[in-house]
Amino acid sequence: MSEATGPAPLLQVERLSRRFPVPGRKGAQLHAVDDVSFHIRPGESFGLVGESGCGKSTLVRLLARLLDASEGRIVFDGTDLAPLPADRFARLPQRALIQMVFQDPTDSLNPRFTARDTIAEPCLLLAGMDRAAAQARVDEVAAQVGLPAELLGRFPHQLSGGQKARVGIARALAPRPRLLILDEPTAALDVSVQAVVLQLLDRLRRELGLTTLFVSHDLNVVRLLTDRVAVMYLGKIVEMGDSQSVFQQPAHPYTQALLSSVPGHGPRIRLTGEVSSPIDPPEQVCRFASRCPAVHDRCRREAPLLQGDPLAAGHPHRLAPGQTADPVAACHLARWPGRH
Amino acid sequence: MNPPIPLLDVQDFSLQFRTRGGTVHALERVNLRLHKGEIVGLVGESGSGKSVLSYAMLGISDAAARVTGGTAVFGGLDLLGAPQRTLAELRGREISMIFQSPRTALNPIRPVGLQIEDVLRRHAVAPRTGAGTGPEQGKGLRDRAIQALREVAIADPERRYHAYPFELSGGMCQRVMIAIALACRPALLIADEPTTGLDVTTQASVMDLITGLARERQMATLFITHDLGLAAEYCDRIVVMHAGHAVESAPTKALFAAPRHPYTARLMSSTPDRQASLAELAPVPGHLPDLRRSDLPPCRFLERCTRATAACSGPLPRLAPEAEHGVACWHPLQPLQSPQPGALPATEPAHV
Repeated sequence: MSEATGPAPLLQVERLSRRFPVPGRKGAQLHAVDDVSFHIRPGESFGLVGESGCGKSTLVRLLARLLDASEGRIVFDGTDLAPLPADRFARLPQRALIQMVFQDPTDSLNPRFTARDTIAEPCLLLAGMDRAAAQARVDEVAAQVGLPAELLGRFPHQLSGGQKARVGIARALAPRPRLLILDEPTAALDVSVQAVVLQLLDRLRRELGLTTLFVSHDLNVVRLLTDRVAVMYLGKIVEMGDSQSVFQQPAHPYTQALLSSVPGHGPRIRLTGEVSSPIDPPEQVCRFASRCPAVHDRCRREAPLLQGDPLAAGHPHRLAPGQTADPVAACHLARWPGRH
Repeated sequence: MNPPIPLLDVQDFSLQFRTRGGTVHALERVNLRLHKGEIVGLVGESGSGKSVLSYAMLGISDAAARVTGGTAVFGGLDLLGAPQRTLAELRGREISMIFQSPRTALNPIRPVGLQIEDVLRRHAVAPRTGAGTGPEQGKGLRDRAIQALREVAIADPERRYHAYPFELSGGMCQRVMIAIALACRPALLIADEPTTGLDVTTQASVMDLITGLARERQMATLFITHDLGLAAEYCDRIVVMHAGHAVESAPTKALFAAPRHPYTARLMSSTPDRQASLAELAPVPGHLPDLRRSDLPPCRFLERCTRATAACSGPLPRLAPEAEHGVACWHPLQPLQSPQPGALPATEPAHV
């Protein structure tokens, strides 16, 4: 395979880690994100799934540069952002290029700001627009997200859940970001409203050519909205690949158990045992060993690395356009039918 | 042969809230039946009245609430006419509730074991061991609280007995709530969104636990949720609510095979599942009507319905509580007709 046949990734995360000191335990460290590598190509929708405590929120905060990394690189559009302290990043032009839609539209909107003020704020602060340009931009994004102009003068408490979600999306789109991070954008919505918002996000993604990182615990929703997906467990990516393959043929025992817990996904795999501690986990032991139904001796001697097609694992940008990378999984037992 | 007498029988139940902004017609002529050992899902979106209904059954409604009609009978007792003292004896003993967010429902400054003991002591349930008073009884209560923690599959219950809620995970707190609710072996359990905010694997184990104990103890369970998929997995029967009306009631299998109320069909087609594509998700058109309106149509789905005709402005067909598959609609979908959003015929011969 020749070098660099596909477009260069927009976001390239390499061996990223974040450890936190543990209060009251001198020297102990909580490994929230541990040696995580992945790429997102321009125009791609990348999904991140995992349960609470798996480190996905920390990872998102690292990528949005709200939090500093302990180690590793965050290469965004050719520039490594990881060495920049988070408090300085807030004033850099790249701030406008990575935007985030937060989980609960009620909590993440300023109750004293009208919808118009909320959407105009990042245009003024981040995109360097003047008042007139910002107002024109507000009208433009409001139309894109289907927010009627007469609602722009309203405060959050005067808007419905779906309307607030649209304001949150419009605010993130206003400074023309290249990477949009969606953190559980529909978790607080009723299903009938959720369906509308999911379709809106998909339309915006295609029309505006957005690159998105979609974080959710709802696997049915992730399947609908992403091209590729990474599954996290205790700070590590345990499986990654194109969404259809991962959801149809999960190779990692954790992914299998996670999918089987979703209502309507067939026979349940019951996880027993306690989640192992993220505080100084032993290097040589698989993090999932304490709960894995298929655990064997090797898993406690040798922590598995992401295995599968190395080309896809480390260098998805080397694939030809349109070529799909095979899924990879961090498990000694992972097998894919029809692969060597 | 007469059909068995239901454990909980709610008929034509109406409830309003008097507020400064006007009268909220929160529930109107709701019918709901639960038999011993039955797990019934009460499904609806926010604002459909599912929690209001369950609070009213426990007699813990908001001060602004007024019951304006109907009956609610639990094991022969008229819940609406019973004095507060009787209801206080009932709550926690015969009818228990699991609340939505375990962390806020538990007392944050009291060890969870003592919170279980509180319920046992309040209802003076005779301890199994060390009967009597003083330290002897205290030990009996303690043993029972630890036993209750063990029954909800909490590992190391002797140690967890002393734990405060903040020291436990969300799933563990919900298990403690379940232990509290089930400590007195109630005949009816109301679980109000018991897994909201929990992870999928935790959700599955908490649901397994609740339904497993319900089956084992022949306990009737009213499971309130907005998640149709979850209700489908665990409930014997499902009652669908929309804007204060119970619009459809059917055994789970029959409901999913052939939903008859247009709202039920829409709700199903708007829920992401393992197959449907994004384009196939069909949102429910329009919004919930404002329940303060004085001109609410008899069918509260009328303004959102693609099948509505002039007949729909007449009095709403009653959802017969005794019917196997009941529906409150003038133009229900035909049995065994698969819901095809967008392809619904505009009108169909009235079939009631």
